[in-house]
Amino acid sequence: MARIRLNGVSKRYGDVVAVRALNLDIRDREFVVLLGPSGCGKSTTLNMIAGLEELSAGELWFDDALVNGIPPHHRDVAMVFQSYALYPHKSVYENIAFGLRMRGMAAAELDRRVQEAANKLELAGLLGRRPSQLSGGQRQRVALGRAMVRQPAVFLMDEPLSNLDAALRISTRAQIKHLHEEMRTTFIYVTHDQAEALTLADRIVVMKEGMIEQVGTPDEVYERPRSMFVASFLGNPPINYLEGAIEGEAGAPVFRHGSLRIGLPAGKLRRVGGAPVMLGIRPEDVLHDGVPGNSVLTGIVDSVLPVGSDRFLGLKVEGCDVFVRVDKASHHVQGERVSFALVAERLHLFDKASGASLLDARA
Amino acid sequence: MSVPRIRAPRLRPRWGRSVALWAASAVLLVYVLAPVAWLLSSSFQSEREIVSRPPHWIAQKPTLANFAAIFSAGERSVTYETRRAADPASGGYIPSTASSLVPALGNSLIVACAVVMLNLLVGVPAAYAIAKIRFRGRQASLYAILATRVIPDIALVVPFFLLIRNLGLLDSLWSLIITYLAVTVPFSVFILVSYFESLPDELDKAARVDGCSRAQTLTRVYLPLALPSIVAVMLFAFLASWNEFLLALMFTQTPKSQTLPIIVASFTSDFTISFSFINAAGVIAIIPPVILAIAFERYIVSGLTTGAVKG
Repeated sequence: MARIRLNGVSKRYGDVVAVRALNLDIRDREFVVLLGPSGCGKSTTLNMIAGLEELSAGELWFDDALVNGIPPHHRDVAMVFQSYALYPHKSVYENIAFGLRMRGMAAAELDRRVQEAANKLELAGLLGRRPSQLSGGQRQRVALGRAMVRQPAVFLMDEPLSNLDAALRISTRAQIKHLHEEMRTTFIYVTHDQAEALTLADRIVVMKEGMIEQVGTPDEVYERPRSMFVASFLGNPPINYLEGAIEGEAGAPVFRHGSLRIGLPAGKLRRVGGAPVMLGIRPEDVLHDGVPGNSVLTGIVDSVLPVGSDRFLGLKVEGCDVFVRVDKASHHVQGERVSFALVAERLHLFDKASGASLLDARA
Repeated sequence: MSVPRIRAPRLRPRWGRSVALWAASAVLLVYVLAPVAWLLSSSFQSEREIVSRPPHWIAQKPTLANFAAIFSAGERSVTYETRRAADPASGGYIPSTASSLVPALGNSLIVACAVVMLNLLVGVPAAYAIAKIRFRGRQASLYAILATRVIPDIALVVPFFLLIRNLGLLDSLWSLIITYLAVTVPFSVFILVSYFESLPDELDKAARVDGCSRAQTLTRVYLPLALPSIVAVMLFAFLASWNEFLLALMFTQTPKSQTLPIIVASFTSDFTISFSFINAAGVIAIIPPVILAIAFERYIVSGLTTGAVKG
């Protein structure tokens, strides 16, 4: 259990700045996910927390202790790696026990912990095997077990599910969530998979180019993204954008894109008129077609994509491609002209140049 | 419109290629092994049989007397006058330095083993640091180490000699150990760096998070995994030291520090030349490296090539 604070933490490799003046306060027992594309500095941040990378600037605190310069073996952290990093020359038992042995734990307690973890992770029959004799999922569980038995203050995970197939990834995700509830310790998890972040996190830290783009609960970052980057990174299929301008009075603002006019929520915009804006519409934020009102999206059906539980329609709206999610019972056909009502409160609006949200923070 | 005709590729007979490969291999094998075979065969022949015409590739009257003469040479003092009074089986010619052969064998073993140990002691931590620890000048340090091997050994003889003389180590085993280290360590580091780099960085991170210091990470995780490259380095250092001639000739003057190549070479510049004795000494000289090569054969190729060849 530990509260972790990063104050102005930076990491430079020569002229390259990997992490830029990061400020983050991770609460005790919180599950925080660092989310972002490759090269955004999330793994570097995790490595600095683990003590595997030195800080170029800033302070890193574990509770009330400044841990800059403290080597990893003197920080109470455990880590699960993307490649699992199991010791190939050791058996599963020895892999799990290694961290405990290094800390000089008594043999009886060590064995009890290893057996307990093995039972929990369904590895009991595999303890004598070498990592090369295990499947990907089994290796992943050994890596989890190795971290688990340590009962660390901070549990770090660097894209631990990336090498698993889709089905196994979902079941292991649930296992990790369960593990967090059971261990009641601080978890920091790095991923580029937005689905993992949304399912697991108490709070998501979205990172871009070494900086924090937004910190918030999964609902906050999904529903109220502060930038186009965050809005684009979360959601599958991704959010749709239409370029246009805001017109009308502050009391009744309207988004205009060619001949298309979409009513915007009154009193929530930071500005009306001015520079070009991007309207963001999530595919699921459309209502059944044909509803009259001033927030209506009209287009021609260009493609129909059934995905089992739902159906996605590719629309041509004033020359732009827009994907919307509809009920699987709907019977739209290619070439059909359709209209969907939009929930004005769920629309997103960004400044085109800066990408920043133009909606007031709606707490 | 005419349809382009696709021409079937002409199939070359595969057996032709196989025959060529076999023939080339056979020629190479004969070229490499014939001198060794003759050395081995003649070491079991008397001087008379060795110089007979045509030569006998297989000894007609095999004898162990040459080897017996080597191991009993210490009991006799050979001078110009007594040189023919010695073992008749070896043609009667015993080199005057024959009694130094067994001590030289010991010297060679001591020097080679010390060079192997010190190579590992210096090379393994250096290679681990270069391969796994990010520090300023990491690449430059590797290039600097390798650059020392660009200079031919002969150019280093004078500086080495001055150094050894000023250290007061002339005619001692230390003179050889120190200079052989300078020659072998750079290549050992290169082999080990290539191998360590082929092992995943995440193992290093995992070990350190698991509670290992840098030194423990090296000894508990990387050393067991780097066994092939360590064996390769041991063999390389051992063979380089065991076979070295030039520096040993310069720095050793008495049997106290002379190694096997020096003593064996001295047999050719004695009162007379005894081929049978020299050949038997040659066989003894190649036994330790051959045993090592056979024992660690499976590690040698993987140790030398893993990591060195990147796709």
